[in-house]
Amino acid sequence: MSAYITKRLIYMAAILLAASLLIFCLYALTPGDFISGNIKLTPERKAELREIYGLNKPVLERYAIWMKNAFHGDFGYSLAQQKPVLALFNDYIWNSFLLAAVSTFLTWFIAVVIGVISAYKQYSWFDTLVLVLIFAAMSLPSFFIGLFLIKILAVDFKWLPPGGMITTGSNATGMAYVKEVIHHMTLPVIVMTILGVGSLTRYFRTNMIDVIKQDYIRTARAKGLKESKVLYRHALRNALLPAITLVGFELPALFGGSLIIEKIFNWPGIGQLYMSSFSVRDYPLLMGFTMLIAILTVIGTLLSDLLYQIADPRVRLQ
Amino acid sequence: MQMKRNRITALLTLLLSGALVLAACGGNGGNTTAQGAESASAQSGNNSSEAGTDNTGADAGSTLQFIPASDLSKLPAVAKGRTDTIIVGLTDPSGAFTPYFQQSGYDGNVSSLLYTPLVTVDDQGLPAPGLAESWDVSEDQLTYTYHLRKDLKFSDGSPLTADDVAFTWTLLHDKAYDGDSQIPTLHIVGGEAYKEGKADSISGITVQDAQTVSVTLEQPNATALVLLGSDVLSKAYYGKDYKFGQIDYIKKLHEKPVGNGPYILEKFIPGQEVRYIANPYYYAGKPKTEKFIYKTSEGDTWQYLETGEVDYASFSATTENLDKLKSMGFVNILPYTPSTYGYLQLNLEHEALKDKKVRQALTYGLDRQSIYVDANQGAGEVANIPASPISWAYTEEGINKYAYDADKANQLLDEAGWAKGANGIREKDGKKLTLHFLGSKSAQTDVFIAVATEGFAAIGVDFQPEVFADFNALVSKVEGGDYDMASFSTPMLADPSDGVLQFVDGEIKGYDNPKVKELYDKALSTSDIEQRKATYKELFQLLNDELPIIFTSYKKTVYAYNGRIQNLSVSPFTGLSSSLPNWTLE
Amino acid sequence: MSSIPGNLSQPGQAAVPSAAPKKPSLWRQSLRRLLRNKLAVSGFIVVVFMFLACFLGPLFSPYTDNKIQMSLMNKPPSWQHWLGTDKLGRDVLTRVLQAGRISLTVGLASMVLSVFLGTLLGAIAGYYRGVVDQIIMRIADLLLTIPGLPLLFISGALLSEWKVPTDYRMYIVMLMLSLVNWPGLARMIRGQMLSLREREFMQAAVVLGLRDRRKLVHHLLPNLVPLIIVMATLNIGGAILSESVLSFFGLGVMPPTPTWGNMIDAANNMIDFQSHPWLWIPPGLSIFATVIAINLFGDGLRDVLDPKMNR
Repeated sequence: MSAYITKRLIYMAAILLAASLLIFCLYALTPGDFISGNIKLTPERKAELREIYGLNKPVLERYAIWMKNAFHGDFGYSLAQQKPVLALFNDYIWNSFLLAAVSTFLTWFIAVVIGVISAYKQYSWFDTLVLVLIFAAMSLPSFFIGLFLIKILAVDFKWLPPGGMITTGSNATGMAYVKEVIHHMTLPVIVMTILGVGSLTRYFRTNMIDVIKQDYIRTARAKGLKESKVLYRHALRNALLPAITLVGFELPALFGGSLIIEKIFNWPGIGQLYMSSFSVRDYPLLMGFTMLIAILTVIGTLLSDLLYQIADPRVRLQ
Repeated sequence: MQMKRNRITALLTLLLSGALVLAACGGNGGNTTAQGAESASAQSGNNSSEAGTDNTGADAGSTLQFIPASDLSKLPAVAKGRTDTIIVGLTDPSGAFTPYFQQSGYDGNVSSLLYTPLVTVDDQGLPAPGLAESWDVSEDQLTYTYHLRKDLKFSDGSPLTADDVAFTWTLLHDKAYDGDSQIPTLHIVGGEAYKEGKADSISGITVQDAQTVSVTLEQPNATALVLLGSDVLSKAYYGKDYKFGQIDYIKKLHEKPVGNGPYILEKFIPGQEVRYIANPYYYAGKPKTEKFIYKTSEGDTWQYLETGEVDYASFSATTENLDKLKSMGFVNILPYTPSTYGYLQLNLEHEALKDKKVRQALTYGLDRQSIYVDANQGAGEVANIPASPISWAYTEEGINKYAYDADKANQLLDEAGWAKGANGIREKDGKKLTLHFLGSKSAQTDVFIAVATEGFAAIGVDFQPEVFADFNALVSKVEGGDYDMASFSTPMLADPSDGVLQFVDGEIKGYDNPKVKELYDKALSTSDIEQRKATYKELFQLLNDELPIIFTSYKKTVYAYNGRIQNLSVSPFTGLSSSLPNWTLE
Repeated sequence: MSSIPGNLSQPGQAAVPSAAPKKPSLWRQSLRRLLRNKLAVSGFIVVVFMFLACFLGPLFSPYTDNKIQMSLMNKPPSWQHWLGTDKLGRDVLTRVLQAGRISLTVGLASMVLSVFLGTLLGAIAGYYRGVVDQIIMRIADLLLTIPGLPLLFISGALLSEWKVPTDYRMYIVMLMLSLVNWPGLARMIRGQMLSLREREFMQAAVVLGLRDRRKLVHHLLPNLVPLIIVMATLNIGGAILSESVLSFFGLGVMPPTPTWGNMIDAANNMIDFQSHPWLWIPPGLSIFATVIAINLFGDGLRDVLDPKMNR
């Protein structure tokens, strides 16, 4: 086991190194740089600024410098925001995490409940309805449903605020603050849950159907166990167990921010920050964020492979 | 299946949000372009009588009138509850609130309330006193002397003197300075030497006494008065740790600005709000409204205005936007023409476009009225010179309007030797007349491409549009010369020379007309407005005929704001900041 | 990620149609079972309808030239214009159908490409294992760590540098989508392959001393067909949605050529939302209906082709 983990960690390091180089080159290849977007500058001033920022150096040299600093824990200053990249992450990432964590929890909860029930009643009208709804949720353009709900729930009925994280100008603290944030996050969480719940429900449904057909369930029933006991004790557990591997894959999503949702609902999250940085080619911030996601992705992958082994001991790790 | 699905969703998410950013970036206030080319019921320009509109283009800038709120009782409860706070939406302030050091215009909006310049501009774009109560310009137009008001104070209560002004100018000449201030390009005497580290101070800057500072330039420049008369940084605060070549420490001060404007920064909540409180030390007296907030809000701001979350928003002046605003009832509607112009940059290094006749033909062959006025429901005007209709230099005298005329365009192209070949595409010397167009993604661009494709086909021009997702990519492609035509809009133009600069500073590659240069310099060599007006008229007529670029349009926007706000006015050149200290809530 | 227990990637234990002589009856049996699945059948009907409408419909429209008429700006549905007109006075119905041609083609083509790439690479990785497997799967891992947006922007910009005519942008969109999609598919195919090669019939093939190519083409690939068919159908839906998104960026089809995506995009604001529903409902509903229908059909197909899903 530990040999396996060591091997995986080496792999991870190699992949991250390759990814960082590739990502760096890709950003460098993207036409335009931080300077070119500012049309107020004269060509001479542009050249001067490129010199100051080191943008006139060859890509590989820039990469080497970035890598060296990164190893020392220095991810640099954001060019556009003039703040340390890590400080910016700290400003924004937790807001994204809050949205993602709550909606992920809700998504899983709803998906498990509905998925299991509809599997148990496979081919009933309930199951059919669920199936259609699942696909409906998977066929929605997210920006559209977002704006639609703002229009209905916020503008027309005024039930929920149209965006933001707190009431503008509010000085609430403690419980009042928590209440305010909950009020503001309701809409985005609803949309994120709708968008995510489809595929997950489908996953649980098929898993559960698989399990119900297994011999040991038949055996359990044949033994004369009560149906509820068969369902909860045997079927449910076995249907849910493999799902823990998915937890690893949620990792980057938890911290990566939901770009479109944050944008539509004006949520001060990392996704918005990333997008605005991309359009101005704020390299230090882009690199920092992309690498963070890459790191979370590989960790998530490792985590899910490990969890899978715990869930299903038949799987051999190699 | 699960994994793949996640992947697609993630990608979609990335992409979608990008769309919104871009839509937001396109406009000048963040939301005008997003609304830009929306829809309408209008038959064309002249039926929106309720809006007080008459024929577009008749008298620039005066086609819309102020419309007061009709029914303040409709005001949402949230907005009613605010008694000492005004909230305005702002796309994306990032926290770099030190003037000269910020990289985004939105931070500029934030700092414009924190700082007051020495010299501001009035509604005609003419210099007006700010922190400086007066100024002298020497006979040779090289030395500028600013006389500061007495007893000026920074927001921390410390005195503001000529030393601070000198420090500010000096700081901008540091070799490590990475902002985009134009002051270093004015060539202050000794500035270059300081930048190179050969001198300890800039010899051209002289502090005469606590209230008087003067600066000498190497060459005259009519924009110098306003440029130099910009915001003043506190030497005691921003210069405390200053060593030549090391100005990184200023980054730490960005979020804790010490200013001299009407408001003081109370709190910056990243991605959410910038909160201000009134500055008791403000030279013109403490502002009437105690608190002011810039709320971060990207893209569509309708929902915030409608629910009373913001008190103020700007929209494109389309008939439908106006109708909707009027139906809301609780907003005052203030029309506004920004001091900019839109244009199509032409690649003058390409053979066909070197020919003036071809450029004129293309202008005749492009139905600008349809694109910028009709499709925009009157929220625009056709432009023909490089100056905004609200500029004092604007003129229509002797200006060719290039009204859409396919016959004329065809005739000009025939004269230029481009004959129709196979498929109706014109050819000359075996080369096809092809136009490779670059535009950034927006609703306006979509309309442009649709109309231009049709119009150019009618005059035998092969039109190849290409749309770019982000502005940086577009600019770098233009810089590389890989285009024939690209759509742009100027930034806010304060002085008429700003609008002409691109024809003389080499930005428009391949255009080198000594006459234009001569007129440009002539107009800048004097501060006499009437003289300058006459020179600009001549210059505009020349450019209107030469068409080194195709002038396209002027934007028209409206500001909608909570009917309780009094004394609001918007300067075309400085925006809200000049009237903001006077705003009161009724 | 190879270990993800997604239903499709899980090695099925039994009767994937393997033995050649039984094939016809098995397919016919499957077809009969498919026809019994009402949802799948209605999905199929909707898809066929969309295809027919989009590819034949415009032939009967008098407005196919998309002439700009400012006087007809944003007119609501009427007898002349069944679904109204857009902001340039063009007929919305005609444009929706024309847009459908492109969106459907893009969906199909992107599916074909990514299924081809995914199958090829996944099959090779799963069959040869060892070094080849490692290389392909590490590349997939690498691709998964890179955010899709810059990747797409860069491809767009590079193609522009290489002066690919804008008319071909559509095909490039498809290529880009496939590039982004293949790793997920490759993983699934690889998983299936790994389990298939351990089966008895493959051991028989080894004993018989068959060549690699013969083993791959005649024995392994046919066993992958059900999985591929299912993935392909489900993939089209995703590709149509993604195409719409790419159009928002001008990374795809240039206006004035319509696609469902750029039509919705043009109306995605509060004013059109309220005042001109005929601008966004038709393209929106088209995407929605098509994607649901394709997914339902794909799901039905899987029910039939995946032996574990039998009633």
